[in-house]
Amino acid sequence: MKIAIVVQRYGADINGGAELHARYIAEHLARYADVRVLTTCARDYLTWRNEFDPGVDRVNGITVERFRVARERDEAEFGLLSDHVFSRRHSLQDELDWLASEGPTSPELLARLSRDRNEFDFVLLFCARYFHAYHGARVVPERAVLVPTAERDSALGLAMFGPIFRGVRAIMYNSPEEQALIRAAASNDHVPGVVVGIGSEIPAAVDPARARAKFRLTGPYVVYVGRIDANKGCAELFDFFTRYAANRPDAPTLVLIGRPVLDIPKHRSIRHIGFVEDSDKFDVVAGATALIMPSYYESLSMAALEAWALGRPVIANAHCDVLVGQCLRSNGGLYYADADEFGAVLDRVLADGTLVDQLGRSGRRFYQQHYSWSVIERKYLDMFALLSSTAATYRMERMPGWVARRLRSLRPAAQVLDELPTGPAVDVDERGSEKPAPKSQGAIA
Amino acid sequence: MPMDHNQGRRGHFHRGRRGPDRRGPERRQGPPPDQGNRPERTDRLDVEQIMREIRTRIAQRSGIELSNQQIQELAARRLEAILDPRGLKPELLDQLRRSAGDRSVSVDVVPAGSAQSYPFDEAALYDSPNPLLRFIRKLLQPLLRMMFNPTPIAHALALQSRLNAEIAAREAERDRRQAEWNALHYEILQRLALEVSRGSIDSQNLLLRVESLAAKVDFNERRVRSMEGTQVRVRPQEPVQPVQPVSTAASESIPASPQVVAAQPGEPARRRRRRRRGRRGPGMNVPAEAGTNASSAPAVMEPDEGDTENDFDDEAAPEPINATEQAVVSEQIAVSPMVAPSPEPVIPPEQTRPSGPIASAEPATSFESVPSKPMISSEPVAAVEPVVGQSGTRDDELPPPAEPDHRDE
Repeated sequence: MKIAIVVQRYGADINGGAELHARYIAEHLARYADVRVLTTCARDYLTWRNEFDPGVDRVNGITVERFRVARERDEAEFGLLSDHVFSRRHSLQDELDWLASEGPTSPELLARLSRDRNEFDFVLLFCARYFHAYHGARVVPERAVLVPTAERDSALGLAMFGPIFRGVRAIMYNSPEEQALIRAAASNDHVPGVVVGIGSEIPAAVDPARARAKFRLTGPYVVYVGRIDANKGCAELFDFFTRYAANRPDAPTLVLIGRPVLDIPKHRSIRHIGFVEDSDKFDVVAGATALIMPSYYESLSMAALEAWALGRPVIANAHCDVLVGQCLRSNGGLYYADADEFGAVLDRVLADGTLVDQLGRSGRRFYQQHYSWSVIERKYLDMFALLSSTAATYRMERMPGWVARRLRSLRPAAQVLDELPTGPAVDVDERGSEKPAPKSQGAIA
Repeated sequence: MPMDHNQGRRGHFHRGRRGPDRRGPERRQGPPPDQGNRPERTDRLDVEQIMREIRTRIAQRSGIELSNQQIQELAARRLEAILDPRGLKPELLDQLRRSAGDRSVSVDVVPAGSAQSYPFDEAALYDSPNPLLRFIRKLLQPLLRMMFNPTPIAHALALQSRLNAEIAAREAERDRRQAEWNALHYEILQRLALEVSRGSIDSQNLLLRVESLAAKVDFNERRVRSMEGTQVRVRPQEPVQPVQPVSTAASESIPASPQVVAAQPGEPARRRRRRRRGRRGPGMNVPAEAGTNASSAPAVMEPDEGDTENDFDDEAAPEPINATEQAVVSEQIAVSPMVAPSPEPVIPPEQTRPSGPIASAEPATSFESVPSKPMISSEPVAAVEPVVGQSGTRDDELPPPAEPDHRDE
């Protein structure tokens, strides 16, 4: 079996969520199939500037083909187009222009797929909202297996993605919430889909004491892992935490791991230890009272999964359906919707060690049952086997004609998104069986 | 590492305008448990239950039973009432809402230079996108100039164009400011309505507390009276002889009590001052002439000499009576021919405790079994409450007379 993995960036030092996801999947599927990665020469996700050399490369034993990006992203243009398609009535051509503006636009990569479409049994396309995934799915729909990594953002309300979600051979979802959201948006119940997610490379042993000594951490602490960015909810986290710590001299330390995009407030209880090696990260997380995930939008939080794998509970943002759903399904975390709840939850986990242990145990069990690599590999292989044994009974919808593409008949994407159901999807069986969520307004579950 | 696969998106336009959680309070608390579909529910741990507890505790701490979401909904309804479309132009209301909702979307301002993109000079009069036409016009330009002067026309048109652009810019600026003001007004109004809602809920809460406390105070008062009444009835064994003259003297100095009159129709009007809870220790406020009287009733004073300053929550401590009351009691006892100096004067709790509601003013028929029938059974007991301590029931175990307010506990 020969599999192509198409992703916007690829490299051992590229740690973006979806890119890391693609790399992990490539390396694990390589044990069972001939895997080849098709990607761009870009390293920077904001500009898509060509930084890698085009051609064939090898990364951790995986063959990687890199193709040049035809045009860098113009942030101003992309912002204007985003505003237009998200907030105003627009045409399909406007959406296509938006997609081209978002990038990474690499006609060479698409030409390679189109030219050698029979070379691969399956083409795994990562990140539905990017240029390569959209056009890749249109080029090889009969072999396309989409890993959408979609979240609740306005792009999901764009009309152009409907045919893609309805036309690919299969979809590998990250969470039941993502599955329910895409099904509600695209009505693609006929497309085989399974909730897979992603595992992580958890070390066999961790040493929290070493991390405490190395980073001079004393007393109880909670930890945040990831890019320190307002888009990740960090501004709100800082606000809530400083308000919480203001009246408590014995407040725990908030340890931050990751690169800051946002100014970190100077506070006696906030410690930023920067971007650290994986071993340090796991040691710090293992020694924490809990991991905090303040993000509003996640399709799957690897940090949360890693915390659960290490037996630590998660304190999640209650506005993120995926995280709340995971907390509910795993019984491995609590969640907060405002500052009061943030303080109360933090108080509870700090005061109740038994509860922390129980949450951690539940989380670990959840991780082992659903996100260990053996489970994930099996889900992929089962899906490939299913697709190999059955023929597709549907086809990708054709692109509308020149005039139809220019009719301003599409509603603002944000408005479409607002009408999609919200909430954690607790009724969807995360083990992957098909259990469509009812499409009731305002409720996924 | 988090799944920051959406790294390519930045700024407000990248995110879904999700707004407030639209799941409603019941869904905010999580969906109903569906054990069958959940892969595991281990350690008997229920995150939803824990979150419910946490939220309940927060609600109790803040004294408001409503969630923020509910308060906001309430405020939205109030706001609708304030912005009554009958008294307000509907389009203005829509405009306010739109302005508040789309503050991130800039108002379409016509750039000042956009109207001037077509320059009105003399050359522009002969210009054309068609090169051939342009060439012909250029050739014929001297001929045209001979026939009329195009310069003032070009000048007037250029001036008008500039004026148009300036006016358009001014209009756009005014619209933008107006939209901002509208948004600000709407925001302020919305916040005011929210705060008013919150305040009214708070005041309602406090009102309920006041009512609850008032009911408790009332209950305590009635209990005090009942204790006094019980004290009166439980001392039939006191020596009678020395009391008689003093009680007569004392009875002359106090106003007539209808209760006493009704109780002993054959006697001269006996007056008994209705007294609030005891604030005195034994002997306090005792008149000098009653001094001997007080000393003559040691059995009455004895039981709680050390407890007289205690609060009434200490139910087992019957309140001492002052000399005047002692005199009345003694006299009542003295005139009762049926009273025998019983060695166990305390009425059994099951006899003193009424079976009906505490606040009812029904006659205490249970007192019929008391031996001193003429005195006690004829005494109206409308104000008599059981002595809670004697009946073996604590104050806080009794149902409060009004709606319970658990926040007071």
